[in-house]
Amino acid sequence: MNLKPTIGIETHIELNTNTKMFCRCKVVDTEDPNISLCPTCIGLPGALPVPNEKAIRYITLLALATGCAITKKGMFHRKNYFYPDLPKNYQISQFDLPVGENGKLEIVIDNEKDYVEIERVHMEEDTGKSSHEGTGRIDSATSTSLDFNRSGVPLVEIVTKPVIQSSKVAVAYIEELRQLAIDLDISEGKLEKGNLRFDANISVAPSKSDELGTKVEIKNMNSLRSLERAIDYEIKRQSSAIENGESIIQETRHWDESKETTTSMRSKEGSADYRYFSDPDLPNMVLSDKFVNQVKESLPSLPHENRNKLVETGLDLSDSNVLSKSEKWILELYFKVFDNTKDSKATFNWITGELQGQMRKLEIKSLPEWFSPNFLSDIIQLIDANKISFTSGKVILEELIQKDTTPDDVAKKLNLYQENDESAISKIVNEVIKNNQDIVERIKNGEDKLVGFMVGQIIKSSGGSINPGIAKEILSKELNL
Amino acid sequence: MELLNLSIRELNKLFVNKKAKPSELYSEIFDRSASSEAALHAHLSLFEETNLEKAKNSDERFSNSENVGLLDGIPLAIKDNINIKNEKTTCSSKMLSNFVSPYNATVISKLDTEQAIYTGKTNLDEFAMGSSTENSAFGLTRNPWNTDYVPGGSSGGSAASVASRSSIAALGSDTGGSIRQPASFCGLVGFKPTYGTVSRYGLVAFASSLDQIGPISKSVDDARIIYSSISGHDSLDSTSINDEQIDLPFDKNATIGIVKELMEDGISEESKKEVDKVIDILKQKGYNIKEVSLPLIKLSISIYYLIAPAECSANLARFDGVRYGLRVDGKTSYEMMENTRAEGFGDEVKRRILLGTYALSAGYYDEYYGKALRARKKMVDEFSSIFKECDYLISPTTPTEAFKAGEKTSNPLEMYMSDLCTIPANLAGLPAISIPTGLSSNNLPLGVQIMSKPLTDNSLLNFSEMLEKELDFNRTPEDWSK
Repeated sequence: MNLKPTIGIETHIELNTNTKMFCRCKVVDTEDPNISLCPTCIGLPGALPVPNEKAIRYITLLALATGCAITKKGMFHRKNYFYPDLPKNYQISQFDLPVGENGKLEIVIDNEKDYVEIERVHMEEDTGKSSHEGTGRIDSATSTSLDFNRSGVPLVEIVTKPVIQSSKVAVAYIEELRQLAIDLDISEGKLEKGNLRFDANISVAPSKSDELGTKVEIKNMNSLRSLERAIDYEIKRQSSAIENGESIIQETRHWDESKETTTSMRSKEGSADYRYFSDPDLPNMVLSDKFVNQVKESLPSLPHENRNKLVETGLDLSDSNVLSKSEKWILELYFKVFDNTKDSKATFNWITGELQGQMRKLEIKSLPEWFSPNFLSDIIQLIDANKISFTSGKVILEELIQKDTTPDDVAKKLNLYQENDESAISKIVNEVIKNNQDIVERIKNGEDKLVGFMVGQIIKSSGGSINPGIAKEILSKELNL
Repeated sequence: MELLNLSIRELNKLFVNKKAKPSELYSEIFDRSASSEAALHAHLSLFEETNLEKAKNSDERFSNSENVGLLDGIPLAIKDNINIKNEKTTCSSKMLSNFVSPYNATVISKLDTEQAIYTGKTNLDEFAMGSSTENSAFGLTRNPWNTDYVPGGSSGGSAASVASRSSIAALGSDTGGSIRQPASFCGLVGFKPTYGTVSRYGLVAFASSLDQIGPISKSVDDARIIYSSISGHDSLDSTSINDEQIDLPFDKNATIGIVKELMEDGISEESKKEVDKVIDILKQKGYNIKEVSLPLIKLSISIYYLIAPAECSANLARFDGVRYGLRVDGKTSYEMMENTRAEGFGDEVKRRILLGTYALSAGYYDEYYGKALRARKKMVDEFSSIFKECDYLISPTTPTEAFKAGEKTSNPLEMYMSDLCTIPANLAGLPAISIPTGLSSNNLPLGVQIMSKPLTDNSLLNFSEMLEKELDFNRTPEDWSK
């Protein structure tokens, strides 16, 4: 049977506001439990929520950036369910009137553009954190510790339509969404810190069927790697079940990272009726045209726009995609260097290969102040003009990262400029031949591998200023090889 | 000097003129509660010890003429669903019997700046759900006019406290009549302000879209003084409003509407007679009076008993034994939460949580809660159009005089009907006041309710004060110790 999978993804992104969504407690990044709390975010009797305008601005930014239609008169709803780390035992969220609806996000798959349709973008407040001692599951834990620092931190939830057909697209979608959040400066976007969390709804149906299969929700995927593996596993599990004539149960399954399988979660919240209703503590969320226009005007250059600009410089879509997902300063550096070199591929390679490689090796996160974009374009241009070797370029770059100097000074100091005058090179070559007659004899007798030794001697005599290729070329000519 | 029967303005004048001291009033108040509490049980806690220092400081200010305002040194009773920092807020529930609030409600912060003094926290129906103060986990409160009778509810403790003079005035909260009905049963003024004019921050929520804090007092002027102190925009309450008051005429240029639907079946002859008495007074004074009809008022109890329980089912979900209050252990977290809620809540609270949970359930939302919301909206529209023709609407406050303790406890529906006249103002967010008009044949107080459009609180108080003067009720309960 030919089967096709369909995937929808729900992503929660933690917003990087200073304070929480409905109180003025600081958002803290600490292991110290329960240090940023107030009556509102721990649900004391009588405490009330007051919305964080900045968070609503951030959510509107994301909704606009994903091309959503903005709901002018939105609402806050209560989503009711009991869980020990949910202080009010309801979560303030949005239901039928979210901030944004019907958007799409451009992604790149194999050097081609693709789009993931977005169903909705809405606000939600985060819960506290539970640590279930013993089993890790609430129903069988011996005790549960609670930390409410995270309680009430603003989240934006992005729900895709069921349109994703592979783990590869799912991963590309999350990478794109993460970059978007970072470029909008609304989140740190760190997966390892839980700034970005996702659940996947997966179903499998016969390829020819217009209807979707029974959907299964997968939770607990903490990295892109686990997202990919969990989706692949679940597609396989459902496909073989269908092929064996078994039916799929609509349920929530838990991705087990160590066993690399999904297991059924028999928790009570699985089949919850959330009894959404408009929160009477909060007035309607009115997003005026003026507000929306202001937010629109503040939109920065988005990842897909950056990709278009990069493609215009001559890079292919795949390389452009890599650069669009780099840190902002790298993107800026690329455009500055490209302006001088007009060589997109070399600029791309030097930045993503040599520069970032050296920085990783030296364990530095940002370039020193003295490092001018012109350094890179100088190096690229010197190599291009054969004035230095590629290897020398790397040496110069390494120096420039560590010392406040210039490419020219380094090249001079380390004698890296290449000798390009053929007669001068011939002179050195002949000198070396004269001093190594025995080697020359052996080469002529067929010991080809000694050519390399001779080239080494020539470079050594020149103090490293001769291009090995040219040295070998002239040596061959002189020895009539 | 007998200070307990005086109004806030009279007391302040004595203090300012150094003819009496706040600490003298303080002593009289606590002497009174020492004798009245055993018979009435108006208070759940008395702050005699903790607030003595405040009374002495108040003496000091008056003697140095540094007093801050009319409420300086005035002992007020506070309903025990309003948070006072470092004091218990029990809501008359076993669930919160050990809960000490770490913060002040906004109304308390405001009264604190005016240097008001608190006599203690008053009894209520558990989480303000009830109309008789019999649904208290800590025992019922009795009506000072006749201790066989209930004081009304849910702010019955506050009303009994003021009526028995163990406080000068009190704060209550009103979700469906919980200020006005007990005020009426106890011969007092009870004022529910326009929704949003008094901050709800720190008031333990029953039904957020209906709850409003307000005063219970001996006179309209006392109510006005407290209202002007506790009202005003609060950035901690998103439903708090910042709009200016609207002025209505309160002399004979005002048009008075008599609500037809609240003068029909289900309203006792005695209650109707009080309205007639008021109509006669107004006619004599030359007011233009007309009968008006608001047909949807007949649905108000049905609407209310879907909306209020729905909101309460979510509002009371936070009481789970996890972070504060009662905890009854269980083998798992869920079992602990279930055990806690099973043991912590009384029957009426459970009844309303279940009703509200059902009304919001998938498949029933549209039929129940959704429909109630639409009906509420229509009722608001109905009021808006009536207020184009009338400035004030008059009706009985309660269908009957106070009923006997135990009389309606076995029949919740009958109990719910006692809020028939008061619920509409909560559904429409209107300011509404009950003022005492006379005594029934059983020697129990009766009152009338006056409603006006939102944000006309000050005019409503002025109009009521005019009526109060004409009615000259001026009666106090005697000998509640019987």
